[in-house]
Amino acid sequence: MSEKPEILYPPLPPVSKWLPVVVVAWLLPGGGHFYLKKTYRGLILAGAILIPFVMGLMMRGYIFEPTGGDLLTTIIYYGGFLANVATGLPFFMTKWFGYESADVAGHVVDYGTKFLVTAGLCNILAMVDAWEIAVGRKD
Amino acid sequence: MKLALTHFETTLLMALFISVVLGVVTKKTDRERLRYGLTSFGWFMVTIFGLGWLMYLGHR
Repeated sequence: MSEKPEILYPPLPPVSKWLPVVVVAWLLPGGGHFYLKKTYRGLILAGAILIPFVMGLMMRGYIFEPTGGDLLTTIIYYGGFLANVATGLPFFMTKWFGYESADVAGHVVDYGTKFLVTAGLCNILAMVDAWEIAVGRKD
Repeated sequence: MKLALTHFETTLLMALFISVVLGVVTKKTDRERLRYGLTSFGWFMVTIFGLGWLMYLGHR
């Protein structure tokens, strides 16, 4: 059996070097890449995260509240809430300006909810990417 | 203003946005990113149409 070649990463730089990048990447989708002067990638990520978020709001998607209950309800509502929070500033602005909609039945509303959650999950990927660039694991 | 898209339109857009993000964050060169994004979108399409036909045939 052949052994996998060991991938050696450079040692992690101090937290002060990458934490601001991750925070900016969280608050503003694509912001971490702008901070690191990766402008085109930042623009593409910002578009691919903010457009579905706005579309989700326009479809009257539901912004999750952390709600307990049975196991499935807890996983869905807490998971959804975390994904929504991961969108950063757009999530807080939606709350502050009262753009969130009620949790009602309906297929378009349901699509909107999925768009909002997807935007948050994509922003987590963007944050990880920005972190990898900041610590020198990626260009 | 309220946006009302069909299930198909929504799925296509969702596939597009996710493919773009996956393409940008997973690879190291622009060529690899484009290739991965397109491949990812292609597989989304295969899955969408495959499951669509499966559900159609399953309900006949």
